[in-house]
Amino acid sequence: MAQAGDEWELSKENVQPLRQGRVMSTLQEVLSQQESASHTAIQQQKQAFELELRFYSGDDPLDVWDRYIKWAEQAFPQGGKESNLCPLLERAVKIFHEEQRYYDDLRYLSICLKFANFCSEPLDLYSYLHSQRIGVSHALLYITWAEQFEARGNFKKADSIFQQGMQHKAEPLEKLEIHHRQFQARVSRQILQGISEGPEAEEPEVPEPQRSSLADLKSRGKNKVKAPINRVGDSIKPRPHGLSVQAAPTQQIPSRSRFAVFDENAASAAPELPSLTPQQWTAPPPARSKENEQKAGQWNSGRPSRNSHQAAAASEPPQTLPSFMPYVDESAQQQTVTPCKINPAVTSVLSSRKPGKEEDPLQRVQNNSQGKEEKVMYCKDKVYAGVEEFSLEEIRAEIYLAKIRKKREDDLQEIALRRQEMERQIQEMEKQLKGSCIESEEIVSDQPVQNVEPIIAPCNSNTNESLCASQQAPVMEFPHCFEMADAAPTLPRMETLPVFNETGNKPSLPGLSPALSCDLPFTIFDESAEAAPSMTDQKRMAAPVRRPLAAVPKSIVKSQESQLTDTLDGTEPLNEEAIVCGSGKNKSLFPDPEDTCDFVRAAHLASTPFHRARDQSGECLQSDSLDLERLPLREKTPVCEESYRQELCIKKLSPILEASQEDTRTSVSSVSSISSTTSMFTSRPIPEKLELATQITGVYESEPTTEELPQAEELAELHRQLLESLPELLVSPEIQHEVGTMPDMKEQGEVVLGCETYGLKNEVILHPNSKLFMGAPVDWDMGDMKAFALKVDYQPLPWDFYVTMQLKERLGDLFETFFIEQTNCFLYQNGCISLYKDINRFSIQEILLDSEEHIKEVIVLVTYNLLSLVEKLHSVEIVHGDLRPETLLLDDKIFDLSSSLELKGLFKLVDFSHSVDLKLYPIMSSLRGFPIAQTESGQQFLSPQSSPYQVDLLGIADLVHLMIFRKPLQLHQENSVWMICKEVPRLRGGNLWNKFFTKILNAEGPSTRVLGELKGEMMGQFDSCFQDKLCNYFIQLEMRLNPL
Amino acid sequence: MAGQLTREGITLKGSAEIVSEFFFCGINSILYQRGIYPSETFTRIQKYGLTLLLTTDPGLKEYLNKVTDQLKDWLYKCQVQKLVVVITSIDSNEILERWQFDIECDKTVKDGIVREKSQKVIQEEIRSVIRQITATVTFLPLLETACAFDLLIYTDKDLEVPEKWEESGPQFVSNSEEVRLRSFTTTIHKVNSMVAYKKIDTC
Repeated sequence: MAQAGDEWELSKENVQPLRQGRVMSTLQEVLSQQESASHTAIQQQKQAFELELRFYSGDDPLDVWDRYIKWAEQAFPQGGKESNLCPLLERAVKIFHEEQRYYDDLRYLSICLKFANFCSEPLDLYSYLHSQRIGVSHALLYITWAEQFEARGNFKKADSIFQQGMQHKAEPLEKLEIHHRQFQARVSRQILQGISEGPEAEEPEVPEPQRSSLADLKSRGKNKVKAPINRVGDSIKPRPHGLSVQAAPTQQIPSRSRFAVFDENAASAAPELPSLTPQQWTAPPPARSKENEQKAGQWNSGRPSRNSHQAAAASEPPQTLPSFMPYVDESAQQQTVTPCKINPAVTSVLSSRKPGKEEDPLQRVQNNSQGKEEKVMYCKDKVYAGVEEFSLEEIRAEIYLAKIRKKREDDLQEIALRRQEMERQIQEMEKQLKGSCIESEEIVSDQPVQNVEPIIAPCNSNTNESLCASQQAPVMEFPHCFEMADAAPTLPRMETLPVFNETGNKPSLPGLSPALSCDLPFTIFDESAEAAPSMTDQKRMAAPVRRPLAAVPKSIVKSQESQLTDTLDGTEPLNEEAIVCGSGKNKSLFPDPEDTCDFVRAAHLASTPFHRARDQSGECLQSDSLDLERLPLREKTPVCEESYRQELCIKKLSPILEASQEDTRTSVSSVSSISSTTSMFTSRPIPEKLELATQITGVYESEPTTEELPQAEELAELHRQLLESLPELLVSPEIQHEVGTMPDMKEQGEVVLGCETYGLKNEVILHPNSKLFMGAPVDWDMGDMKAFALKVDYQPLPWDFYVTMQLKERLGDLFETFFIEQTNCFLYQNGCISLYKDINRFSIQEILLDSEEHIKEVIVLVTYNLLSLVEKLHSVEIVHGDLRPETLLLDDKIFDLSSSLELKGLFKLVDFSHSVDLKLYPIMSSLRGFPIAQTESGQQFLSPQSSPYQVDLLGIADLVHLMIFRKPLQLHQENSVWMICKEVPRLRGGNLWNKFFTKILNAEGPSTRVLGELKGEMMGQFDSCFQDKLCNYFIQLEMRLNPL
Repeated sequence: MAGQLTREGITLKGSAEIVSEFFFCGINSILYQRGIYPSETFTRIQKYGLTLLLTTDPGLKEYLNKVTDQLKDWLYKCQVQKLVVVITSIDSNEILERWQFDIECDKTVKDGIVREKSQKVIQEEIRSVIRQITATVTFLPLLETACAFDLLIYTDKDLEVPEKWEESGPQFVSNSEEVRLRSFTTTIHKVNSMVAYKKIDTC
């Protein structure tokens, strides 16, 4: 019934008991593994120990040996050859036998004592230890020693040992005393028994003593240690730990009094204690003779070595000479070579080795003296350090591995340091930036998006433009080590500003309005986040399309090129192929070259042969003015020709090439390149290195007539660029990606969105790219004022969504008051529809169109609300850009003013097509993208130095003007003070309004402040009857609007 | 031994007898093996097909006999749960070893019920247990100092403590290694054994 855990029992004969016991788990493990031939685990452990022996660099080498020995004891229960225990002990003893510091170490002593068990003559060892003063302060030495004597029957000596120990005050003293007492008790008992049974020795009827099993026998013989033939009675080694009584010794028939009867009475008479003369040993006595080991004989001796006697295996007791004693075999006999089977004539065969002369470890120790004459040129000590040889390769391997490990650690440390350093730098830079009033939005991007931001350099052909000081940033190293990008997640991602085309007449200076001026000429450039430059024309490039092309081919708007340096220093190719394949000069340049070098080269190839013509054509468009309806000049809605490009693709650098003007008809377009490559040149400030100006282009249709400068499209392009840098935006859950093209949206039509069908009612054309439809689900009661708004963008960019999200984020709770959130956003291949549920159908337009004369209160209210709205927008750095009455929807609250406490939040903005997030684009070099800039007043008012916020201020002014005068804003400048041309008659609150206009048109300082002040003034108008009047008005308005 | 049990099977009384005898021999073996008493004071007998050593020391003999009788009585009544031999060092009073024998009684057995189990099989089982006790020398540490032993018997709670017995604590070995040994069963009583000894100090 052997159970699983009983291997120890099954192998009990093979397990040597240890004094301190065994760890059962190890025992089990070892025993269970013995069936397998390899016992790899043990071997591995052994190897590990050996390795440790060789490469230990600490203070306490004995520790390694100690652990190794203990492990070997446990791991090799048989204690046999495998464990190498004896050689191990021997080596340990030998190595340290001259180390004074270990002389008092209990570990060393126990190693020596264990070694003594292997010695053929342990007494010698003990004497040696004693003479060398090794472990003389430990009781263990004396106890063991005395035990030996006792086992030999030499009680006298044993006692003297005890006495010695007690004299030396060996620790632990009590233990020594206990053992001594026990010993004495045993001895006395023995003597007494011997005495008492002496006369009865002749009795033959004494029963035969039986041999007991597993009993320790005393070794017989002083010189030779032999097992006694008589294995009963006296020969049994008494267990020194027990109160064992010696078996009746006299039952032996041949009672040899091998021992001197220790007569304690007699002993006490002898006062002098036989002292142990420390014998002078120079070397520890030999270990047990190794009968079966072959000694490595001399290779060149040739003669067969002598056989050694089996009997002579027992080492001789050393002669008590004061000097060192060589151990020689007593009966070393020369024996003839055993006849070998090999034909002696054949001498080519190596002669078999005979077991050599037994060499004692003593001799080996002595042979250490060879070191003086000979010098060993290899790491002999390492090779032979343990009990096994290590090959040189193993030693080398370990050294190498240690080096590698160290190197890896160093590398890791270094990286960590560098990372810290970088982070510190980033923080510093951030602080700097913050300090200079430019706040950069930090977008953490996990993907090392390879978008390169276009660096705008509005270059003006004529006026030698200063290159865009606007945005440049100390560029980080090129991200071929992506962890840098990760390590710098907080690098503000500055999208570069779009370049607005400057025509020849306006000097384009880096548009830095006072509000936005920053000290730093650059913003931090994050190479990992770029808005892609617009697409290049594939046809032009005639290159294989690696990915679907950009949806919006752009027209060229390039003014000028500055120096195009083809220096590639600083740029490193994105992928190593370029390096590997060499800078292929003959490589065809793709529209989106993946390689920076390619890109740079492509950029150089970009040329602007025809831009001048374009400029001129562009000019003529500027003079058109807009009328009240503010319909955009563009007559056609741009249609994207190309297939829609996956937004989520990683943007590559693509040189924005310029196509010739003439090609625009075929709607080929390309945009000037990104001088983002120049951003790679970290050292040089951007203005200098700017090569090309990027451009935003509009979408062209094949319309010969429309060759205007599509200003608005610049913004769209800008938006696109921005959004492309935020691919994660497009995967947000609110956006539904729809396959296919946008449904046809027309007034009075129906459209299916998501799962609902909506009937479209009113159409409000905002500008070429977007429309606003009022509609409702088909099954709704259309008479209600509630409706749905569908904002349609003909660009597949959820810009509104983005802005709304940002607003929500930045405004927090205030968002609800002023803005509506889209309920849904559907993204098509060629467009985007934002759905606003639950809104009011009416907007300020309705108020404007209202036949009734506007009462002052209404205007004040509207103004107030507008001001607070825009103030909120500006406070989070978003410029609306296109405040118009149609998109300011009335809130339901407005029809129920009597119950509302506050008079704000009555209008909601739904259109953000023209808004610009100034966090992303802190500096807008040109404001011409805004629709309002197209108006006459806009052109007058807005200069390149204007801040984008002024666009909104202008918008407000325009709206208010509209409300007051039913005419758009007309300005003139007097003494550099802007004023409206037509003064508000005093009757209608002229004071207020004139001041208002003056203030808003000549705003200085942050717009939010101005707006706040104006708001305050408006609020000042809120008197007691204000609300009532408003109430009345709106109720009437409602009735007019909703005749039921 | 042979005359004490009916040939056909095991009764409650018979089982109690077997187990108590086992304990008598087992304790003797332990005392011999661990050198609690000098080996010379032991004599040999043949039992279970083994040569067992029993003490000749009169005091010890009497003590053990008394314990065995008490144990038999408790076994019969199924009131005993464990028997523990605790070996302590005389000088330091430290508990060095602890042999624990768990006894499981089948309480449903009443007088008159006879279980089927071969005598031979039980003997073999006991034999292997005792052999195993002998074999524990492979891993038990040497008991260097003079030791004494204690017998503890775990009984049911409400048993009254007989004369010459006293209540005691469990006497565990601190920092112990435990090894589970074999068990044997008479179908009425089952005896599991294990030994706990002091963990090895790596000194």
